[in-house]
This record gives sequence, structure tokens and C-alpha cells, in this order.
Amino acid sequence: MSANVSMRDALYEAPGPKTQRLVRIGTAISVVLLVAFVAFVLRQFYVNDQLNPKYWSFFLRWTTWRFLLRGFLGTIKVAITAGIIAMALGLLLMLGRISPNRALSAICHVVTDLFRSLPSLLLIYFFFLVIPKYGLRMPAFWMITVPVALAASGVLAEVFRAGVNAVPKGQVEAAMALGMTHGKITRKIVLPQALKIVIPSLVSQLVVVVKDTTVAYVVSYPDLMQNARVLISNYDALVSMYFVVALLYIAVNYATNQFSIYLAHRSDTPVISRVDENPV
Amino acid sequence: MPIQTAEPIIQMRHVDKHYGQLHVLQDINLEVQKGEVVVLIGPSGSGKSTLCRTINRLETIDSGEILFEGKPLPQEGKELAALRAEIGMVFQSFNLFAHKTILDNVTMGPVEVLHRNRKEAEAEAMELLARVGVEAQAHKVPAQLSGGQQQRVAIARSLAMHPKAMLFDEPTSALDPEMINEVLDVMVELAQEGMTMVVVTHEMNFARRVSNRVVFMADGQIVEQNTPDEFFDHPQSARAKDFLDSIKGH
Repeated sequence: MSANVSMRDALYEAPGPKTQRLVRIGTAISVVLLVAFVAFVLRQFYVNDQLNPKYWSFFLRWTTWRFLLRGFLGTIKVAITAGIIAMALGLLLMLGRISPNRALSAICHVVTDLFRSLPSLLLIYFFFLVIPKYGLRMPAFWMITVPVALAASGVLAEVFRAGVNAVPKGQVEAAMALGMTHGKITRKIVLPQALKIVIPSLVSQLVVVVKDTTVAYVVSYPDLMQNARVLISNYDALVSMYFVVALLYIAVNYATNQFSIYLAHRSDTPVISRVDENPV
Repeated sequence: MPIQTAEPIIQMRHVDKHYGQLHVLQDINLEVQKGEVVVLIGPSGSGKSTLCRTINRLETIDSGEILFEGKPLPQEGKELAALRAEIGMVFQSFNLFAHKTILDNVTMGPVEVLHRNRKEAEAEAMELLARVGVEAQAHKVPAQLSGGQQQRVAIARSLAMHPKAMLFDEPTSALDPEMINEVLDVMVELAQEGMTMVVVTHEMNFARRVSNRVVFMADGQIVEQNTPDEFFDHPQSARAKDFLDSIKGH
């Protein structure tokens, strides 16, 4: 994690001998506390009979894993579809918002803020309970995917906008001075640079989408969480099941984060040396 | 070098502009003839950069009018873009497109704005890059070049549009001292070829050697204007005398 090291180097000066001693003592205390905590948890598990094989042995059966993995695939399917929709919609909302057309800009501003401030659960209820009353009944997959995508699109629109704002003003001025029109400047100059800037935050935002899919049980869509609940009631094994499911979610989101770090490094081309711009 | 023809290409009449309370341009009247090199000088904050940027409408004005080739500047849209395509501009901070190669920076205008054939545009771009001495860098990105090289590319990018006039907004102010001359040399050559130029600069030698006219600004006003020799040797106003005194001995 070279990024972390450089951040630490940037924020703190190199430690002197006294600080180094303090750091060593602090590290020792943390390790002792951590070991004590893990021991305590294991002891509580033992005392409450959670380590009993009956809570864990069914993980040795293929059917258990098949059922869990099916849910896992459901989660991935919803997350990827929602992620793609959210990115496309977020980009459109942002483009509308920065457009010189005042009315379009205002509409996109309102829609962005609306999606951004509504909890995704509320949007899910809307698609699950309200819309079917007016005759539009979607499959469970879309009842979870669409609201999750809408909620994320508002946030992504703001992520894209931050990227556009991060493109130096001089880039746009140079393009205007060449005689390029607003649309062309956006497509050829601003977006390519903005997207490069926001790739890491974009991918991290997908982690939020994955987590949002966990409310799929509301619409009875068989995602990882929903299938885990079924297994929990079958085997009466709450702690062990949630433990394994948590590991699976951590694995997905860890992979997503690694992917964003990879992308960030890959797009790490040098950017123009900036000079402070102060006209007048 | 007096200009023989009297054919105004840029005309500013009673131009006023405010930034909030600050009156940055006060009743500006200025004419630039075809082929003329006009240098704008003055203390920082005098409004010279703002004036330069109003000529291609990167800055709007509150009142008065600006004409290019006898026609008022268009206010917006395609017409404004078409006008800007006819006026080259070189910025203090170069503003090369950071995500494009040097060659693509120079062909961007001809291909995207003038809809020229890419092959032809690239051939001409290579000639222009050779002319400003950076053809060896054609396939690098701007951040890999020195400031002086970047600014020469920026000049080539403007020239690729075959502009009728060029604006230079403090083109050497962001450069390390040893790179200033390589940029000035290109500008001198352009001036000698008869390019119409409006140059905001602190390079007094350039102003004296190359310009046809020096326009001295202070506090948003044009205080005086004269031929470079007259201005530097016999400044009329107290403001100009003070300014010239303050930069002497550097």
C-alpha cells in the first residue's frame, strides 16, 4: 500500500528516537489488547456453545455452499447491473446539470439531489409497494436493481461533477480560444480528463451499491443475504452463518477496492504542471 | 517601425467592466491596425490581462463595444466560437491539453474546428513544431516537456488555426529565466512576418525591440500610449515614470 505510506510521509515528519520508543510501546499495548479481545470473543462463543459442531458441520455439505453461492451470484448480478445503470444515469444527470440550458440544468440538479437524499430502502418500497398498485409489476430482480441504481446515480452524478470541476479552468479556456463549442469541449477535453480523475472514487462507490443490495430480502429476491436467512432458519445457526456471509461480502468489496487501486495506478499518467492562474 | 496601412482589425470603444466593486476596465478606447504589434504594460492589477481577454470574449464586458474586422464580437454560440477560431491565444500557464500528445494538441483545432483532414493537419502540425523547435517531442504528453517547450507548442497550436491576430497573455511570466528567450525568439519571428499581435508582458526589451506601440495601463485605464522609443525615453505621465523607475536596474 504505497499510497498509505506516502500519505503518512506527507502528513507527519520522520519520527525521532523518543517518538520511535513511544510508537513501540503503543504497538505492544495494541497487540496485547487485540489478543485479549479475540480470546474474549472465542471464550464467549465457547461459553454460549456457539463452537458446537452442529452450528458449523453443515458447511461441510456441498448443498449449503451451492445455495449460498446461488445467492452470491444473485448479489453480483444485481450489483453489476445496478452499477452500470447508475454510472450511465449519473453521467447523464451530471452532463445535464453542467449544460448551459438553464431549465435542463435545474431539472438535473433537483433529480440528482432527490436520488442522493432518499434512502434506497424508501425507493425500494416505492417500487415494491406503490408502483404495482398502478399496474406495473416488475420481476423481483428489477424491483431491487432499479431503486439501488437510482439511489447510486445521484451520488455518482456528484462524483462525476467533482471530476469535471477538478479539470483546470485553463483547459476549457484554451479549447474555447481555439473555437470549440461547449459540446465538443465537454466531449474532447473535459470528460476524458474528469473520468480519469474520478475512477478510484467511482469504483469505491460500487462498494456502496453492493452493500445496498442486501435489502433485496424486502422484495424476496434470492441474493446472498436472503439465502443466508433461509439457511439460518433451516439450521438454527445465526452466528456461524452471518460470520461466513460477512466474510463473503468482505471478499467482494476487498476485490473491488483492489481493482480501484489497480485502475488508479494504471491511469497515473503525469498531468500538466499547473501554474497558478490569476488573471487581471 | 511605423505601420503603413491604416486598417483597424481590433477596435475597442468606451469599454467598461467591473468585478463587483472593482472597476477593472474604465472607458477603454484602443485600435489595433493590421500587422501591428501592440504591447500592454503596467503594474499588476492594472487590467491589462483582462483587456487582452475581452478581445476574444473570454471576459465579457459591461458596456461599450469591441469590433473585430469592423464587426461587433458575437455574444455566444457558434458565431462566437467561429470568431475565436480566427484569433490565436497564448496563455501564461500554457494550457496545453494534458491528456493529449503534443501532436494532437496542435491538430485539435484544425481537425475538430476547421474539419481539416487529419493526415494533412498532422503534416502541417509537424512543420509548425519544427518551426518552433520541438518536433522531436511530438509524441510526448505536455507534462514531459519543459515550460519553454510547452509554451512554444502552445504558439504552434494557435498558428495551426491560421489566425488573423494573436493575443499573448503574459506568455513568459510562468517560465524559468533561462527559458524566456526561446519563447520570445518565436514571438519576434512572428512579429517580423507581419502577424497582428497584442502582447501583455513584463519583458521591456521585447517591447522596445519588437513592438510598434506601447500601451501603458494603470488602475483599469489606458494612461498613455506611444512608440516604444518615445514611451521608454520620454514617458509623459507620472504613473508611467514611477512604473519605469520601479523596474529599472533589474
